[in-house]
Amino acid sequence: MRELLDELKQKIVTELELTDIQPEDIADDATFFKGGLGLNSVDLLLLIAVLDRDYNVVIHSRELGEQVFINMTTLADYVMQNRR
Amino acid sequence: MASRPWLKNYEPHVPAGIQYPDKTIPQFLSDTQGKHPRYIACTFNDIDTTYEELNGKVNGMAHALKGLGVKKGDRIAMLLPNAPTYIIAYYAVLKIGAVVVNINVGTQGEELKSHLRSSEAKVVISLDIFVQNLYRIIADTHVEAVIIHSVFGLEKKLKPEEGLPAVLIFNDLVAAHPKEEPRWECLPQDLAVLQYTSGATGVPKAAMLTHKSIVASITQILAWLQVPDAGNAAVLCIIPFFHVFGMNACLNLSVAKGYRMILMPRFDWLDLIPLLTVIEKYRPISVPAVPSLWAALLSSPRAGSELFAPVAVPTSGGAPLPEWVQKRYKELTGRRIYEAYGLSEASSAALFAPYPGGAPGGSIGVPLPDTEARIVQIEKGLEEVAPGEVGELLLKGPQIMQGYWRNDPLTRRTLQDGWLHTGDLARMDEEGFFYLVDRRDDLIITGGLNVYPSDVENVLAAHPALKEAAVVGTPDRMRGQAVTAYVVLQDNATVAREDLIAFCREHMPDFKIPKAIHIVKKIPRNPVGKALRKALRPEGGEKT
Repeated sequence: MRELLDELKQKIVTELELTDIQPEDIADDATFFKGGLGLNSVDLLLLIAVLDRDYNVVIHSRELGEQVFINMTTLADYVMQNRR
Repeated sequence: MASRPWLKNYEPHVPAGIQYPDKTIPQFLSDTQGKHPRYIACTFNDIDTTYEELNGKVNGMAHALKGLGVKKGDRIAMLLPNAPTYIIAYYAVLKIGAVVVNINVGTQGEELKSHLRSSEAKVVISLDIFVQNLYRIIADTHVEAVIIHSVFGLEKKLKPEEGLPAVLIFNDLVAAHPKEEPRWECLPQDLAVLQYTSGATGVPKAAMLTHKSIVASITQILAWLQVPDAGNAAVLCIIPFFHVFGMNACLNLSVAKGYRMILMPRFDWLDLIPLLTVIEKYRPISVPAVPSLWAALLSSPRAGSELFAPVAVPTSGGAPLPEWVQKRYKELTGRRIYEAYGLSEASSAALFAPYPGGAPGGSIGVPLPDTEARIVQIEKGLEEVAPGEVGELLLKGPQIMQGYWRNDPLTRRTLQDGWLHTGDLARMDEEGFFYLVDRRDDLIITGGLNVYPSDVENVLAAHPALKEAAVVGTPDRMRGQAVTAYVVLQDNATVAREDLIAFCREHMPDFKIPKAIHIVKKIPRNPVGKALRKALRPEGGEKT
């Protein structure tokens, strides 16, 4: 789980081109939107594409998104349980 | 060179000049609901509304507005996302001869107050989630009535101070008023929309768009994007209707054609999650989107040829489309995305890639029918430059605004002899295709020589230690302006100033080499990715 969390943080910084943050600066309970990483809806689409591409994890509904994208740990949990 | 060399790039079915219908914007709704009352006008959260139902609700709201004392010419502010509420309010306001004031739903505080005050909006139509924002500033405006679409019941928590308008509920008003047509008060030459715009320079102003100019714009685009009769085909409506791109390419065009608008409002960041599923489900014929959204869509492993097969008209606007996005789309589908160039001041598109033939890579296309375009010298703005040379893009055509609302000095500077001075730098090639180069306001004149920021930025961004760069002119006692660069380093990279200067020297003449280079963490950009050069300051970054 630790390894996956770190891997996800690296991917978020790299794939979403977050220029002013390092992966190690992202807390395990960091949220994604305002007050957290500051992602917007297009960033989220890109993140979902990365999850699909790299872990075969598909997030296609708002309801599922609400459960998964609470913070980095909930995302990592979901990926851990559903990756193929 | 021929006076309109681009005409040879027109598809055979597109005329150089069009007979424009002498009608108003709501006439399109009236025509469509008359011909196809049972066609679905819009789908929102899987709930369909037919054109007949839509028109009935429009009429209800129109009667309600009249009952509130709204008269011809009154301004009605709309702070609404893409939802049936917007469509109903839009046509209701227009039918009774009032004026739609389009405001970005994200606007709040002093900026919202400024828009409401300057437009003298009599009524605001919005959602309950924005009601607290609204009531923080409403006392200092001319607003007499507030109509709220209640989604979450949040208006119930509001306790307006004495003297402030009470909240009226949108659906209640519609239900309480007749479905029959109100007396139409709009005429083609009347003002229809005040379109608040800031573009990349950050100063809000309102373009005055008449029924005539918007109808001309719709008619031009219909003539351009001709597809076989597609019945009640779907259109993905993700570009906000409060932008001219969304208002025309999604809303007005769909209503004119009897298409089914698949509404995707963006309340928060989770709203786009089902986007691919929506495209799979509704198989839209048209997908207008900004480049960043195309980039995100095409990054998905689910973005295959099957997904985009029904999309006969994929279009892009608001910013230049990256080459890799166009290439990826072509790899997947064998077809292209059609870029358009438009602005609020032109009611939406003024130039478009020929359809279906397309335009060369990086081009913003050619002027639409009856649209004149010139590239003029930057300094005096009088003489046209030769093909290939860069100058300011000027436009003339029936879709151009009347001017800026209550800002005669700015109108006089922007509209001269019927020509709209866009403030964008562009060039035209020998074939008549246009290419956007930069914003005029960002042009740097150093020691009497012109430097286009993008020229320097492109060189700097190619340095292996740099991720991105933005360049501005800063006051210089000797030169007038100095070229100043702001750069963002690649992860874990370091670089000495001397190396960056040496790199620049290899790739550009001396007068373009930055006098100062600041290393920053982030370059501010607007929602469509344009660097906000005017916002750049030495923000505590390390100057090298």
